[in-house]
Amino acid sequence: MKIDAEKCVGCEICLDCCNVGAISMQNEKAVIDRDVCVECWLCYRNHICPNDCFEPTPLETPGDIFKHVLSDPTETSAGTGIPGRGTEEAKTNDVTGRFDKDSYGICIDMGRPGIGAYMRDVEKVAMAVAAAGVRFASPKETPLSGLMTDVRTGKIRDEYLDVHVLSVIVEGTCTRSGFAEALQAILRVAKEIDTVFSLGIVSFQRDDQDEPLFRLLAENGLSLPTRGKVNVGLGRPLYTG
Amino acid sequence: MTHSLHRCGKHQEKDYVWLLYHVKGVNDQNLKQRYQKSLEIAEAAGAVNWGDVKSGPVVTLSPEEIRTRLTDKSRLRGAFSSLTQVTKFLKDMKAEDLGVCVIIAGPLKEVLHSCRESGVEPHTINYSLGVFGKTELLADDSTLAITTMCGHHMVPDGIVEKYYRKVQKGKIKPEKAAHKLAVMCPCGIFNQERAAILLKEFAETADSEQKQGGRK
Repeated sequence: MKIDAEKCVGCEICLDCCNVGAISMQNEKAVIDRDVCVECWLCYRNHICPNDCFEPTPLETPGDIFKHVLSDPTETSAGTGIPGRGTEEAKTNDVTGRFDKDSYGICIDMGRPGIGAYMRDVEKVAMAVAAAGVRFASPKETPLSGLMTDVRTGKIRDEYLDVHVLSVIVEGTCTRSGFAEALQAILRVAKEIDTVFSLGIVSFQRDDQDEPLFRLLAENGLSLPTRGKVNVGLGRPLYTG
Repeated sequence: MTHSLHRCGKHQEKDYVWLLYHVKGVNDQNLKQRYQKSLEIAEAAGAVNWGDVKSGPVVTLSPEEIRTRLTDKSRLRGAFSSLTQVTKFLKDMKAEDLGVCVIIAGPLKEVLHSCRESGVEPHTINYSLGVFGKTELLADDSTLAITTMCGHHMVPDGIVEKYYRKVQKGKIKPEKAAHKLAVMCPCGIFNQERAAILLKEFAETADSEQKQGGRK
């Protein structure tokens, strides 16, 4: 994204609209730091500028394309064919059975809410959980895996490490018996990153509460969840475990 | 993606997200017709906002326009403002047995109660465990209560703060400000009714604090 300097009147209206603080004033004109910009196109799509100064720039590198597709929810991930950030996690588990009675799904929503994340921090988290036994979803299921040199380690290709995205999900599964180790790795690495993440744990179950999971959360000093996304099992054919 | 899961702040009991999904080659036959019927059910239940991220939400387009643009790749999402609406939606979706994946995100106790009332059985739950890392970077709680209603964060902190100030100064009605914010969320899960309540309450609280010589 860029701002047409000739059209910009320096009104500063756009400064409020950027999630990642990529817009600043220089010589009374608004400018975009393209390394910080996540190419979400929020500014452009919403006609934030009264003079329509925002202009999309060609996405020339794989890093540019990746950050745009991940940050703009109207785009579709080429690898997974899914809009948004390219994953379905629990939403279709009633027909896919990706998460079964022996596993938990791990959804680490890097950069959310509203902070953004550099891929070097994403790599830190991915490598930490991989070492703790988390297996990542395939590149056909989640875009991040397509950037890894090895999905067993979580190492991300070097050319992507300085890419800035609004958010990306580190998504995988672990065995129920290995969940405590994975959770501890997540809590440890949270202290080593320069951003935030929102954490979701996916549980396939046929009743209201997952007591073993809640016990583990309590043992690790976490509050019991008060919010959830509930797949109510109306998809057909139904996965029954 | 988990754009509907991690909402926070006050009045979550007035805010439920519904999502309709499918898997290519599994339950995508005659999808357009089945989604049309699902939308009828969601509208009859009282959905306050809904849409398809590829075309937009009903706060910017007419329902007919969104329906016309539905494809066999569409994924539909929206918001309810009460548990009664959620229960009616689930009951009717169960009765129609359309075979699409139905998901409700919201406060767990309430959503699970609604499942019991409507006779559906939770299959899989994504539990929200909260935010970790450098949480000192986050916006204040009042702002996050609104921005997290667009989980893709297409409603930026700075714009929400601007509307909080405008509502407080009486320059815009809370309902109009909430609508303007809802327009920014392309998939239709932003709950403008809850946003209006939050904006109004914040303005009243800020007024009261100012009168008492508190926050300027």
